[in-house]
Formats: sequence, C-alpha cells, structure tokens
Amino acid sequence: MAIQAHLPLKPVTYLTLLILAQEPTYGVVLLDKLEARSGGTIQLNAGSLYRTIAALVDAGLLTPSEDSAPSGGVGAPRKTYSVTDLGREVLRAEVERQSALLDLARELDLQETR
Amino acid sequence: MTGLPRSASLLIRLHPPSIREPYGREMEEVTRFQLDRVPKGPAGWWAHGRILAGLAGSAVAAWTTVIAAGLSTGADRWTAGLGLDLRFLSRSLRRSPGYAVTVVVVLAAAVAVTASVFSFVQGTLLAEPPYPNSDRVVVAWGSNPTNGQLRDVVSGPNFVDLRDRTTTLEALAALHGDDRVLIEDGRQRAIGVNEVSSEFFSAVRIQPFLGRLFDGRERSPQNGTNILVSHGFWQTELAGDPGVVGSTLALNGIPHTVIGVLPPDFQFLAPAPVWAPLTEEALTSRERYNIHFHLIGLLRPDATPEAATRELTAITEDIAVEYPGFEGWTVLVERLHAASVMSVRPIVWTSAAAVILVLLVALVNLATLFRIRTLQRDEEITVRAALGSGRRRIVRILGMEAVTLSLVGAAIGLLVAPSLLSRIVDLIPLWITIPESAAQVQALRARLDPRVAGTTVVLAALGSLVLTAPALLSAARRRAAPGRSSRIHGSRGTNWLVAVELALATVLVLGAGLLVRSADRMLATDVGVDDQGLLTLWVGNVWEWPIPDQVLYFQQLVDRVEAMPGVESAGIIDYPPFLGEDDYARVYFLDSTGDPVRDLREEWRRVDGGVMSTLGFRMLQGRPIGDGDLVGTPSVAVVNESFARKHYPAGDALGSRVSTHNGAYRDLEIVGIIADVRSHGPQTPAQPILYVPQQGDPRGTVGLMVRVRGGDPMALAPAVQDEIWTLDPTQPAAYPAAVSDLVGQWVAVPRAVRTLVSGLALFSILLAALGVFGVVGFAVQSRTTEMGLRLALGASPGRLRSDILMGTAPLVGLGVLAGLILGLGAARFARSLLYGVGPSDPVAAAGAIAIMATAALLATWLPARRASRIDPSEAMRTE
Repeated sequence: MAIQAHLPLKPVTYLTLLILAQEPTYGVVLLDKLEARSGGTIQLNAGSLYRTIAALVDAGLLTPSEDSAPSGGVGAPRKTYSVTDLGREVLRAEVERQSALLDLARELDLQETR
Repeated sequence: MTGLPRSASLLIRLHPPSIREPYGREMEEVTRFQLDRVPKGPAGWWAHGRILAGLAGSAVAAWTTVIAAGLSTGADRWTAGLGLDLRFLSRSLRRSPGYAVTVVVVLAAAVAVTASVFSFVQGTLLAEPPYPNSDRVVVAWGSNPTNGQLRDVVSGPNFVDLRDRTTTLEALAALHGDDRVLIEDGRQRAIGVNEVSSEFFSAVRIQPFLGRLFDGRERSPQNGTNILVSHGFWQTELAGDPGVVGSTLALNGIPHTVIGVLPPDFQFLAPAPVWAPLTEEALTSRERYNIHFHLIGLLRPDATPEAATRELTAITEDIAVEYPGFEGWTVLVERLHAASVMSVRPIVWTSAAAVILVLLVALVNLATLFRIRTLQRDEEITVRAALGSGRRRIVRILGMEAVTLSLVGAAIGLLVAPSLLSRIVDLIPLWITIPESAAQVQALRARLDPRVAGTTVVLAALGSLVLTAPALLSAARRRAAPGRSSRIHGSRGTNWLVAVELALATVLVLGAGLLVRSADRMLATDVGVDDQGLLTLWVGNVWEWPIPDQVLYFQQLVDRVEAMPGVESAGIIDYPPFLGEDDYARVYFLDSTGDPVRDLREEWRRVDGGVMSTLGFRMLQGRPIGDGDLVGTPSVAVVNESFARKHYPAGDALGSRVSTHNGAYRDLEIVGIIADVRSHGPQTPAQPILYVPQQGDPRGTVGLMVRVRGGDPMALAPAVQDEIWTLDPTQPAAYPAAVSDLVGQWVAVPRAVRTLVSGLALFSILLAALGVFGVVGFAVQSRTTEMGLRLALGASPGRLRSDILMGTAPLVGLGVLAGLILGLGAARFARSLLYGVGPSDPVAAAGAIAIMATAALLATWLPARRASRIDPSEAMRTE
C-alpha cells in the first residue's frame, strides 16, 4: 500500500508510532506512555489499544516480537512491538504533512491574531 | 497483581477472533494493570465501570468492522460472477420458454387472487367502522328465539320504555329509513330520509361538518322540521353553499330547516341524503304492536353487550306484563359492526379459505416445477460441479432463476390485482350486506390494500423460497458425488408434491361442488310469486288524507295503470315482497261467539282486490281478496299456508274468524289460504301472514305491482310513472324495480360465492393438472431410452401408454382420497353457507372425484401418448 494511503494518521495511531519509534515496548508500557505523552487526553482500554495495534500490524507498520521474559522474571513472555521500515516512512510523511500545515499557519500569523 | 474479574474476562472474550486470539492474553494483562490502578471506594467504582464499558464498546466496534469488511468482500465476490450468471439465466430461460411462462403465470395468478381477495377481506370485515367508539356502539334487536325471529325491529313505545329504563347504555336511539318527497320542476322526487330520535348523535358521536347535530331540542314538536343533510347531498344538490345552515327545503310540501351538514366520511346503515328527527310525540303516538325502529345504542365503558342484553330483556319482560303479546320476546344487543358484517362473514371467510388453498396449490405447483427443472438440469449441474463450480455458485444459479421468475410473476400479479378486486366488489352486492360501510367498499374498488399486497408478495416469495429450498439443496449436495444421477430418487419427491397438490385441489373442487349444488337448489326454490314481467313502484304520500280519499286515489291509480297498453293487471300491497320490509299486527283469534280466545303478534299485509292475481299468488283453498271485499261486517281475510298450519293445525282455517288491534279490521272471516311467499328470498322460510282488504285503513304509501305483457317490465316503468303523475303530479312514483331483480338480490350473495369459489376451483384444477403433466412428462422424458428399448423389443404403444397411466393411478388415487377426506371435514364448518344439501353430499363428492380423475387422466395422457410415439432408434441414440 502506498505511504500516502495511510495518511492522515489518527492522533492515537500517530502517537503510538512515535512512542514505539523511540523505543519498542509492550502493551502495558505503551498504554502508560500514551496517557502521559497525550497529557491524559488519550485514555484507552485494552480493547481499543489492541484494536489499534492489530490494525497497525495488519497494515505492516508495526511488527510484534516475542520477548523472552517479562521484567522481574514473573509471568508469561510478552510481545514487544516495534515500528517497521514502512512504519517509519509513514511516520516521516505524517510529520512532513503536519509541519507543512504548521508553516501555513505561521504564514497566516495566527499566533499574533489570537 | 490481582486476578481479573469475570466480567472483564467475558468482555474480552466477546471480541471477534481476529482480535481475541492474537491479543487476548495481553488484553487481560493490560486490563488487570488498569484495574489495579483504580482507587478504592466510590470514585473507584466509577473508573471500574468505565473500563468495563470501554471493553464492551470496543467489542461492538470490533465486530462492526469485521461484519462491514465481510459484507464488502461478500458483495465483491457476489457481484463478480453476477453479470455472467445473468447472461446465463436469460439464455437458459430463452431455451425453455414454456417453463418460464408457466412459472410466471402461476405465480401472477396466485398473487393477484390472494392480494385482491384479502384486500376485500381487509376492507369489509377488518376495516375500522366509520364512527368513533366503534367497540361500544351497539344495535339492540327485538328477538324471539322460540319462533326464529332473532333480529327484529322494535316499536316506538317499547323503544321509549327501553331508553328511559336502561342503565347499561349511555344512550339509546331509534332509527328508521323512510322516504320524503322533494318537489323539483313541479314533479315529485322521492329522497331517502333517515329518521332518528334525538339521542342518535349521543350514541354515534360524530362531529358536524357545518352547523349542529340533533340534540335534546329535537324531542319537541316545534323542532320536528329540523333536518341534517349529508355532505354528498350538500355538495351536489345544494351547490356546497356555505350558508346552507338556516335555509329551508320543502319535504312533502312542508318547509324543513337545515341545521347542519354531516361530515363527508360518515356513512351509516342506509346512506340517506337527509336526516330528520323523530320527535317524542312521533315515537309514543305509534301503536305498540307496530314495529318499525332499529335501535342504536352506546354501551357504558364498563358494560358488555351481554349485560345490556340481560338488562333490556328484563325490561321487555316487564313490558310484557303490562301489554300482553310480548311474551317470549327478548332483546339481543350486539356490536353494530359485528351485526353489519355478520351476513357476509361466512362468505368472506370461505373466499379467504379458498384463496389460501389456491395459494398453497400454486406454491406446491411451483415447488414441483422447480424440482423438475432442477432434475432436468442434472447433467448441466454435474458438469458445472466437475468444472469446479462451488456449491454456492450452483445454488445461486438455480436460486436466481427461481427468484427472478417469482418476482416477475408477483409484479404482474400486483398489476392485475386491482381489476380483479374491482370484479369481486361488483360480484358481491355489499350494499345489501354491509350497508354500514358501503362507502368504504366503494373506496376499496379503487385501491389494493398496500399492507395486503406487501404481505402477499412477501408470503409468495418466502413460500417459493421454502418450497424450492429442497430442490436447491439436493442440487448442491450432488456436488459431493457428481457422477451419480439422482433423477429416479428426485422424481419420487416430486410425486409426493403432486399428491399434495391433487389433495388440496380436490378440497376446493368439492367445496365448489357443494356451493354450486346449494345455489342451484336455492334458485330452484319456489318463492310463491311469479316474478317474471312484474314491476313494482312506491306510490302515494297520502297519510294525511281522509280514508275515503286515499281509497279513491289508489283505486283510480290502479284503474289508469291497468288501462295502459302493455299492462296485464295491477294491484296494491302495503309492503311488497322481497324489499325486506314487514309489518305486524296484533291478531285476536275468535271463537264461534266472536269472543277472543287468544291473541298473538303476527305479520299482516293490506292488499287491494287485484294484487293477489297480479303477484301470481297460488290459492290453496277458498278464494282471494276481491274488489268487492269492502270492509264492513262481516269482512274477510286470507291467510298463508304457514298461518293456517300454525293456528289451525286441524285444518279448519277456512271459515274461522279473527280480529286485529286496528279498529278497521274486526271480526274477519278467513275465506282463502294461499301458498307461502318467501318474501326474504328462497333461503328464508316464510312467516305466517294475514292478508286483509286495504280499503279499511290504507297505508299512506304503498307498493304498486304491475304485471306487463312480455318483455322487460322496466321498459314500461317511465310510462307507468307518467300515468301516475298525470293523475296527480304532486304524488310520488318512486323506486321502480323489476321484481325478478329484487328476488335476484336475495340470492346474489350465494351466487357470487358460487362464482368466486368455482373460479378458484377451476384454477386449482388447472394447477394440479399442470403438476401431474409436469411430473409424468418428466418421468417419460427420463425413461426415453427404456421406452425405446421396450418398443424395439416388440412392446405395443398401447401397452406403454397403459403402463404410464396405471403408474400414475396410485398417486392420483392417494391425492384425491386425501383431499376428499379433508374436504368433507372442512365442509362441516361451512354448513351455514349450504342450502338444501348436506356437507357430505354424495353427488358433490362423486363429482369432485370424477373431475379430478378426468383432469389427472388428461394430464397423464398427453405425455403417455408422446412416449408411445417414440422412435426406438432415436431413443437409443439419446443416451
């Protein structure tokens, strides 16, 4: 699928890709970081979190990898999710799209008028 | 970390497998993590609930995505081969046009018949009556179960007593249909008037279109000339004048004041153009034994018709103590709508039942046709399966053909249905049977009930789907064993379908046979009047004239009419037979000294000297009333056979003496006995009737009976009217009618049912024959090789034919026998429709067997003949 077909990214998807591009991690940590980085505006339940993850995996933007043991060595092994090369390209394209929009906003000097 | 609550675990499991399977375990972990962070106490409960609600919402959203994706993929897949299949469908139908046309015609006919008959049922029995509180508006009848008079009218004084004493009815009103004379261009025109007591609109609570309705004010004589006009009359005759209220109309030469216009949708009993009040005086001054009035009431919300029946009967019993002669009389209260549709109910339901049978026969027929079609395409399906067509594809190709043909058939059926409905409305004279909703029935003519039409199409589609499903499934199953031929096995299933079809058709044929025989018996019944070449008119409006002037006027009128060319004789009777109106007298039976020994309420008629011979009454004993029988002492009377049998069982009626409540008719000697006249149609037994000379006290308006020499009596009607107006242009000559048409109206309903059910039976015979033809034809086709071989080996064509005919015999025998048993059982429920034949009439049963066997024989004969003409060498090559 062409990169443009994924754009624009929904806020949850965008933030998920950004967080995982920084460092691959597993569900619980991702949930925590989503909430922290969005300033509390994104609060997901397990269902919506994994529906987002499943959609990104199906689209080839994320890839799961089996972690050998959870932290502390207790419990079942966990999957960590990392951004694929395609995912990075899509993320880059989204950042460019947003920065172009930001430039436009700056040209209009919206901050002054506020 | 704590354990996961069962509710959360369940909600996670409710997610679709595409989410649940790869991520379920992690979802549980994340949820547990979230729940662990929830604080204790009420604030925590809220957060806890929010997490669970989020999971539930997520499950719904996930499933929605999955289903939407599935549908879109399915639709893509379905449309992919659609164009190809449609092309294939049209090619395959072009190759077998007979099959396509048969299916379409069968379904179109079934849908048309069902939609129109059920629209008719909807419009008559099930439609909401055109007045408010329809579940509380009742009719109260004078009823005498011991002498078979269940629903009779009531006298004015009895009405007043019932009205004043009832507590179960909020209002009770009297109603009487009459005529008044409106003078236009110097000539009189009779117009229908519904006379109602002032309580009428308290019982039937409609709102006036203009002005006001009758209320308590119309009880007093000074308001007796107030009238209401119908919306139609106001529009057509009064030019829709908005200032009509307060204007006057001269009825019977007396100015009447229009006080209101009735609403446009109001049709009640006889839809009369003018409504006039019955003042209290008019009600109480009438003879208690002269019964005239229909009683219409409004039940209290907490009362039932049964409670009102009990109460009004108790009041009638009290009246009987005061006024002898009402012994045995009760009151029957029933809902007006139920009473109105009562006479058509068995007819309408019989038609509906017949239509359901036809629909079933048609659907079974379609199932047979589809099955044969599938079996005929056996090889094609096998080849398709071998070439890799999936089960779904095969079902789709066969199913699409069935659905397309069904839809085309249903569409044609719906197009035809309105004209069929119009025919049915024409066929069944509803103005006789449902006067209450005459307007609704007329409206019915114009449109098919959309709910009924929709339901019919859905039922036909579902029916054909359910019935074709076995054929489709068996075709699909054959993919598992593409090499195996299922023709023999398949045709056995088809045989059962045909047996069912034959059985259902036999039920209808038997029912039609019973109705035909019943109607024939009815039409052959002697009504006691020679109704051919007989004309009747309502004449006279001389109520206020002195009796000698009345007698003179009627005598001159008869003389003038008798002198007309083309008239054989004429005479006068106060209530002509077949118009549905009767009159009653209190009859005192006298002993040899002239003292009354007992008295009873009986029907009576006032006649002149010429009417008995004009009507063609048959004298059994004695002589008729003659012109010389002027009233005086001693005067004479004639009785009918029923009267003589009831009151003089020893056969001593002639010479016996009777008196009546009417002072003009005292001490009458019975001088003749005439044969009974069935004045309510051939199916209703005659009541005892006393005939007296009218000269004593003529009725102000009477029936003039005119016997014409040959030809249509109606052709002479204008000349007779002119003659009456020549004598006195201010007198009415209204409602001319041929007596044969009046008699015909009484048998119109049974005739109509006979026509309708016979038509349906014929259609079902055709369908059943088609089924037999299809099945036998297919059996012959699939055994072509065998037939050819037998012919080649020396079998005679006759032998082949008889083998095929004999092979079908058990199937036909079984179907017809089952139908006969079912039909004889069902006929017991339709007993009320039969006249002169029992439900297990052997002639009808034998007729049904003969008709069905002949139809089956013909349907078998054609393919059998084809089989016997097979060219052996051709037949061998076909395999």
